Amino acid sequence: MGNRQPRDLFPGALEMMILRTLKRQPLHGYALVQRIKRDSDDLLQIEEGSLYPALQRLLKEGCVEAAWGVSSTNRRVRIYKLTRTGAKYLERQVSSFEQMLEGIARVLSPVKS
Amino acid sequence: MLEDLRLRVRSLFHRKAVENDLNDELRFHFEQQVEKLVQSGLPPAEARRQARLAIGTQDEIREEYRDSSGVRFLETLLQDIRFALRMMRKSPGFTAVAILTLALGIGANTAIFSVVDWLILRLPPVAKAEQITTLEAELLSGYYNNGFSYPAFEDIRRQSTAVFSDVAGAMDFQMDGLSIDGNNQPIWTSYVSGNFFQMMGLKPVLGSFIEPTPGKSVDDEPVLVLGYTFWKTHLGGDSRVIGKSVLINGHPVTIIGVAPKGFHGIASLMDVQGYLPLGMGIVTSDAKKDLVVDRKPPVLAIFARLKPRLTAKSVQPVLNVIAQRLSTQYPATDKCKSLFANPLDLFSPGTDPSTSGTLRLVSAVFLILAGLVLILACLNVASLLIARSSAREREMAVRAAVGAGRVRLIRQLLTESLLLALLGCAGGVVLGLLASRSLGSINLNTTIPFVLDFQFDWRVFADAFCVALFTAAVVGIAPALRATRRNLNNLLHERGRTATVARQRTRSALVVVQVGGSLMLLIVAGLFVRSLRNVEHANLGFDPSHVLNFTIDAHEAGYNEVQARDFFQNLLSCVHALPGIETASLAATTPMSYFSFGEELAIEGYQPPSNQQAPAAGYNAVSPGYFETMRIPILSGRGFLDSDSPTSPHVAVINKVMAERYWHGQNPIGRHFANTADPKNPIEVVGVTADSTTTDITSPSAPFVYLPLAQHLQNQTPVTLQLRTSLPLATANREVVDMIHSLSPAMPVSDVQTMIEAIDTLHGPMLFQIAAGLAASLGILGLALAIIGVYGVVSYGASQRTHEIGIRMALGAQRVQILKMIFGQGFFIVSGGTLLGVLAAAAIARLVGNFLVGVSPLDAITYLGAVFILTTVALLACYIPARRAMKVDPMVALRYE
Repeated sequence: MGNRQPRDLFPGALEMMILRTLKRQPLHGYALVQRIKRDSDDLLQIEEGSLYPALQRLLKEGCVEAAWGVSSTNRRVRIYKLTRTGAKYLERQVSSFEQMLEGIARVLSPVKS
Repeated sequence: MLEDLRLRVRSLFHRKAVENDLNDELRFHFEQQVEKLVQSGLPPAEARRQARLAIGTQDEIREEYRDSSGVRFLETLLQDIRFALRMMRKSPGFTAVAILTLALGIGANTAIFSVVDWLILRLPPVAKAEQITTLEAELLSGYYNNGFSYPAFEDIRRQSTAVFSDVAGAMDFQMDGLSIDGNNQPIWTSYVSGNFFQMMGLKPVLGSFIEPTPGKSVDDEPVLVLGYTFWKTHLGGDSRVIGKSVLINGHPVTIIGVAPKGFHGIASLMDVQGYLPLGMGIVTSDAKKDLVVDRKPPVLAIFARLKPRLTAKSVQPVLNVIAQRLSTQYPATDKCKSLFANPLDLFSPGTDPSTSGTLRLVSAVFLILAGLVLILACLNVASLLIARSSAREREMAVRAAVGAGRVRLIRQLLTESLLLALLGCAGGVVLGLLASRSLGSINLNTTIPFVLDFQFDWRVFADAFCVALFTAAVVGIAPALRATRRNLNNLLHERGRTATVARQRTRSALVVVQVGGSLMLLIVAGLFVRSLRNVEHANLGFDPSHVLNFTIDAHEAGYNEVQARDFFQNLLSCVHALPGIETASLAATTPMSYFSFGEELAIEGYQPPSNQQAPAAGYNAVSPGYFETMRIPILSGRGFLDSDSPTSPHVAVINKVMAERYWHGQNPIGRHFANTADPKNPIEVVGVTADSTTTDITSPSAPFVYLPLAQHLQNQTPVTLQLRTSLPLATANREVVDMIHSLSPAMPVSDVQTMIEAIDTLHGPMLFQIAAGLAASLGILGLALAIIGVYGVVSYGASQRTHEIGIRMALGAQRVQILKMIFGQGFFIVSGGTLLGVLAAAAIARLVGNFLVGVSPLDAITYLGAVFILTTVALLACYIPARRAMKVDPMVALRYE
């Protein structure tokens, strides 16, 4: 029951970014999109069609928790917050991601003569 | 995992709430987006358009969202179930037949299983029952004996401490008189050694148990432990009975406890109603005073608990040593080849390994027959499902065309058959419960507390449940695969006739097997029923009609031997004086009752061939007049007279088999024999009677001895008063019971019944009645299933050929030809099935042959009769669709489709 939408990101990247962003502070869905967009200097555009199912998956796995709150404009919003499980999961993901990045970087680096 | 489940369930039941939450969240998101776009300078309408484009359709998100919340699976399952229920409602006939068929198949199996479970599988509810063994001695004669003398029990107990953690003894099941607050009633008791309950690892439901007294197990502690059922049914489950003083055969004892529920004692066919200390049995019985030292009488059954990690086989060397030691030490009394420890499961149905072997075989036969019924039921439902799946081809094709995947379709079909199976299972459990309850309430024609405890336990349920699941899988998967395998185009554009024909052929083959199986069941049922008829019409050698029985127990009423003899003398003369009584007499036991006596004999002038067992005979102690009452002809010599008293020489009347076996054509009158247990007391033969059935209706006549009751009264209590009368039975009953009570108001009278009832025991025709009843039920079930099968396949075949029939009729075919055509298919099925069934029956009849009386396992009449019944009924089942086919209107048929 995975996401059937074609994705530009590699699997797990979206979740990683969500968790990373939530690590700084709890946010609602819209703010999450804005924050990721801003932090990536507009390079990454999160699709809403992927965001909410991803949040739902993270909820299920206990990586985030959600609570209904009120926004600054007095609207009912669902605020997502990183849990300890989520933090650990993020740490593991980031370190394996960095390893992978390093590997890729070495392979792609210009051949030394 | 749990969280996941919680969420799934929550999302299922609060789907509305969850969706509302999501809608709120998405709407907020959307509006934020619009606001941002408006702020960046777009007009509101354009901003909305762009926002919508960016976010995508909310429906898609919702789908995704549902997927990731796991709502999908359960939701589709519910959908499937709803759909399945709708399909079932749409064809109630099909549904009812399928569910009923499965229920009958499963019900028959649970009922039979509950009986087999009780007879063979279930161990008594004692702690670690698998560790408990029962000891058995192999005698020099090759016979096995599980009775031991008290001194032998003590010896074995002392010498086996290396392999057994504890050894307990229990005396035979016997009837005592219990007097509570002046009320007398019989109580069936077992005298047990002090460590019995501790060794079994039981806890009393109330009070305490008999104390284990190490080193001194024959104690005179006058206490009584009640059996649970007796306490509940006879004493109303009153907890105040603990500490109460009561009388057992006139001796005061104190009730100290109640045994746990479900524990019926170790002889598991009986319900022990009371447990007394072994010592009580010895002090209260005049004849048993010397039991503590006498090595002769085999009065105790020995139970031993194996030490952990030992098995009944592994302790054999130790038992061999003990047997050897006892044989050399006491060659006169304890000489035996060896000792064996049998696991309790071998023992539970009865003390005799040969009985348990028979029970196993009978159980196996009935399990096979019931299993066959279930297979037939499954075949039936499978062929119904196949027929229906072809009727639903179009539906499947359409659903596949609109995008339902094959897995999805199979899942739908499996859900349907699973639902059918579960409903069938529920029905089967109900039927099984009813059937085992009715089996459990069989009247065994005795006041002996037999246990027919066919309880519905978890294993029976697990069995039924597995059968249902198995059925669903077997029944459901094939049609599901079939229905979804078809080439879509083929189906949507034409009828795909070749496939239909192939399917029809598979179905016909299934029904052939079904008819064969049913015929086999019918034949087996017929063999059992004919056996029963033979048993019921067997020449018993006595005439049970117009004889009434009354069992009275003078011992229980507190009479001693002399008083009892006077009472019986008085009773007989008073009964004779009643009008309408032809003859009356007394006997220690009645033919085929649950009591029988037998002894080894030493016969004057007869030397048993070496390495053969000592001569033995069954016996009964009877009063003068017995042979007249029972109408057993005396061939030579005389019957008993009032002058055969305790002080006169001991005499006996023997049967013809005994005369021929031991005195080979010489005149046995005036010859002597003696009981080997009492060799100094010779008994003179004064008469020879014709042979009659004595202990078991199926056993060939064996040597039998009649002894005068007056000379053997001390062992013979209770006693049965038998009288031959032309009076209406109810009148005679009342008069005689009143008369007994006018002679002795406290005299217990039990088992008041006709002689015909009295011989209808497990040793008499009862087992045959039960077997014939069970077999007949299974046979009728099988027949019903076969009819449903034949009717289903033939009528389906006819409906498939409606078009063809129409053309034929339009071309001028006669109705007879159509009839022939339809019957042709039925005839093929029935003849194939008949052949199969006869072969199968001949194969299984060998197995049941041991239980047949006067009928060959290949009895031609039974086979022909069963074939005739099945063929007739099956062809009748073809007639209905054939008639329908003959009425086909050619015009309608041609326009069909």
